[in-house]
Amino acid sequence: MSVSFLQQSLLWGLLGVSIPIIIHLLNRRRYRTVQWAAMEFLLKASRESRGKKKLKYIIILTCRALAIAALIFAIARPLVGGFLSWGGSNIDTVILILDRSSSMEQMAENADESKRLSAIKSVQLSLENLNNPKLILIDSASAEPQSIPSPDALSELSATAATDTKASISALISNAIDHITENSLGRTEIWLASDLQKSDWAPDDGRWDAIRVGLADLPQQTTLRIISMASAVTDNIAIRTLSANRINNELSLEIEIIRSDANNSSAIPVTYSINGNRSSETVTFDGQSYKYTKNLALGNKEGEGLGFIAVPSDANPRDNVSFFAYGEDTPAKTYLISEGGESNTWLSLAAAPPGLNDNECKLLSPQQADQIDWAGATLIIWQAALPSEAIAQQLNQYIETGGAALMLPPRGESKNSFLGIQWGDLLTSPQGQYFIIDDWNRTDGPLRNGVEGTSIPASKLKAIKRRDIIGEYTTIATWSDEKPFLIRRVIGNGTAIFVASLPDYTWSNLADADVLLPIVQRMINLGDSRYSSAFAAIAGSSKAKAADGETRSRVDAYTESNSSNAAYEAGVWKLGDRLVATNRPNTEDEWLVLDQNNMEALLEGIDYRLFEESGNSKPLIKEIWRALLIAMLAFLIIEALLCLQPKSEKKKSKTPL
Amino acid sequence: MKYDFLDPEALARLGAMPLEARHAMTGNVAGRHRSPHRGSSVEFAEYRKYVQGDDTRRLDWKAYARSDRYYIKEFEADTNLRAYFVLDASASMAFSAANDSRIQFARKLAATLSYLIINQGDAAGLSVCQEKIHLEIPPTRRAAQLNNIFDVLAKTEPTGETGLVEALHTIAEKTNQRALIIIMSDLFCDTAALTDALQHLRYRKHDIAIFHMLDKQELQFDFERPHRFIDMEDQTSLVAEPALIANDYRHAMEQFLIDVKSACHDVHADYHLITTDQDYEKIIHDFLSTRLPKKGRK
Repeated sequence: MSVSFLQQSLLWGLLGVSIPIIIHLLNRRRYRTVQWAAMEFLLKASRESRGKKKLKYIIILTCRALAIAALIFAIARPLVGGFLSWGGSNIDTVILILDRSSSMEQMAENADESKRLSAIKSVQLSLENLNNPKLILIDSASAEPQSIPSPDALSELSATAATDTKASISALISNAIDHITENSLGRTEIWLASDLQKSDWAPDDGRWDAIRVGLADLPQQTTLRIISMASAVTDNIAIRTLSANRINNELSLEIEIIRSDANNSSAIPVTYSINGNRSSETVTFDGQSYKYTKNLALGNKEGEGLGFIAVPSDANPRDNVSFFAYGEDTPAKTYLISEGGESNTWLSLAAAPPGLNDNECKLLSPQQADQIDWAGATLIIWQAALPSEAIAQQLNQYIETGGAALMLPPRGESKNSFLGIQWGDLLTSPQGQYFIIDDWNRTDGPLRNGVEGTSIPASKLKAIKRRDIIGEYTTIATWSDEKPFLIRRVIGNGTAIFVASLPDYTWSNLADADVLLPIVQRMINLGDSRYSSAFAAIAGSSKAKAADGETRSRVDAYTESNSSNAAYEAGVWKLGDRLVATNRPNTEDEWLVLDQNNMEALLEGIDYRLFEESGNSKPLIKEIWRALLIAMLAFLIIEALLCLQPKSEKKKSKTPL
Repeated sequence: MKYDFLDPEALARLGAMPLEARHAMTGNVAGRHRSPHRGSSVEFAEYRKYVQGDDTRRLDWKAYARSDRYYIKEFEADTNLRAYFVLDASASMAFSAANDSRIQFARKLAATLSYLIINQGDAAGLSVCQEKIHLEIPPTRRAAQLNNIFDVLAKTEPTGETGLVEALHTIAEKTNQRALIIIMSDLFCDTAALTDALQHLRYRKHDIAIFHMLDKQELQFDFERPHRFIDMEDQTSLVAEPALIANDYRHAMEQFLIDVKSACHDVHADYHLITTDQDYEKIIHDFLSTRLPKKGRK
């Protein structure tokens, strides 16, 4: 705990502590000389009183000095709380960086307000105790510095209101440094109120190096004070929409529910609202998260639509709802780039099974790859030597923008590399033996279990030929010798899946459709979400903001919104002609907190102080002059008691006669 | 009157009171004090059986007639008293806070008492003891003795360390006959050695009276400010904060008084603790009164 003073210059008065000592020393020098007969007793008494009496006298003297010190400290108006360091009260400007990401709306255990409100109130109470420094607010949503006339206004501003955005703490601190550099602010402190959510702090962000250098290069020493609101939250449930795909007259919603308490397996009521029609059901699951698909009938409604899914309000009301919007159903168009052979047939069938949703599969040779309509492609199946040059660039961009690609090995050798992946040597199983699938991811990826929990019969796959996959990737399925069968590379918003064998009976029985069909169809669904993602945006992102000439209006019926804060709020919006469902970023549902080691590593060399807030708003600093006056009184009383005691004893033994 | 320590009015007032010895005295001449020997006074002492060699004139014939046995009837002998004033003349006796110094007070006491003693026909002597000098005036009954005593008292100035213990041992050794030893001192000496000296006196069957003279300030020690205390005997000095040491000083003084009283009690000494602010006439009056025989005795 550190102490600072509002009237620091008055601390010179501490020199007055020496007054009792000086008086004592002067008094000792001003002695009288007397002739004394009973010297024997005097010497004896002097010897005996040297110890405890001297100590008592020192205590008396100390009490007097401490009483003066307490008085001086009291009139210097000390502030304590660990938040300000010595001299910290002498501040000209406070730059308040307020994390108002979605996670800051959590209410800590036993708290009756959100972490954001609690932080604002704590800052207000603390600023009241300072000499009205200039206050500049940088909120996490706009990231723009703005001058605040009075701390009282903080809780009223839309710039401090709740949002569904994320926060980039490194960007905010960088902005603060820029603001200090560009303006002459005097003695400045940066106060950062945050819940230390790891995703917001992004420890891997390259900006932290620049922040460390920037803070060190400021003309005056600037202290970073962190108001940590990282207290744990119990019993919170978050719901989010992973995808919303329209398939004919149904909307397929992929939903994830996450709860903070993994041991609580109570039923969760979920409300579905689509185009104003509400329905609900109860979801029960064990563990921390649960993904499921919900198909909602659209009736005969044509065109665009919207809705939301919600769970009852809890410790964080911002993560209890997820909005979605959808457009017209578009048939999936798959491009199969193949070097020919038997596999073409099975891949085409898997991509566009007869009678299924008017799906289309167009077969092209690698030389014809420039004919691909990248904008309209749902899935690219590439069974040939890996693309290079212009085609590779186009395919890469297609994937980055949310596209899906299924890569199959070429029959011939090729040393081409794509996305850092290369096909390895062709391996053939020994006579009479097969390569079989030993393990695969049943919860995620193209081989995940079905909605009802039925698993894909990947173990039935038998291969006599396969290729190694070389590079860095995430393995989804492995052969029995631990080599990869199915791997994934996520680039930008899209995904590329590499399969180590071919649906060709000279290679494997992949064409038996038990494995191939789910893989291809799921990849088509993944690619299809690229179109539905046109209707989805993250709150606060550029896509969620109204472009020039666009007007914003909220079209969902979940709640009202603050018009000046609308760009940062989740909801379904009509932005000009666009229909956009904005939600908080998924990272806001990750309750991973920056630990002390991360913090020290990030802020190494920076003069920073961490103040742990319990969740209830209270001043980070407070004046303690009353306590000091009481202490002074206590010292004086002790001094008086010690001084009085000898007198009473003297009376008792005044005459030994 | 040329001696300022004599007050004729006080002498006149006290003249009516006799100084009595508490123990039997052995004087040279007949007097008013009880003797350990049997004598010819009218005071019956005891009967004892006749033994050969006794003077037959002292046989109690009436007792023989009643009991048919020979008894000798004995009577108390009365003798005079020999008083020794032992005056401590060490430098500490010059101490005075606000009143008379100790030596001045002692002069008054000694002079007045010696006057009374010689006036009632007893012998008085004076012993002045200092570290190196031991002046002694043997006790006599002559009236001229008073002048000797007064002269010595007037000329005695306190100096040096005390020689009280040695003086008491000397008196005990040199004085064969029982005497009344009146000690006037602050007794600031080794208490154990003083006890030995008193026991020596008591062993020689002397009647001991002690005027323990202290100053009121020495008892109360009520200084406020720091003081440099200089020893009056050896000139050592000590700077002290009285508030710090007062209690311990008083405690040490109290213990000293207890020790002295205990030593005096052991030798049946007539102990009087007096302070120099008291009225010396009253002190002498009280001293004489307490020594008077109880009712029923002569």
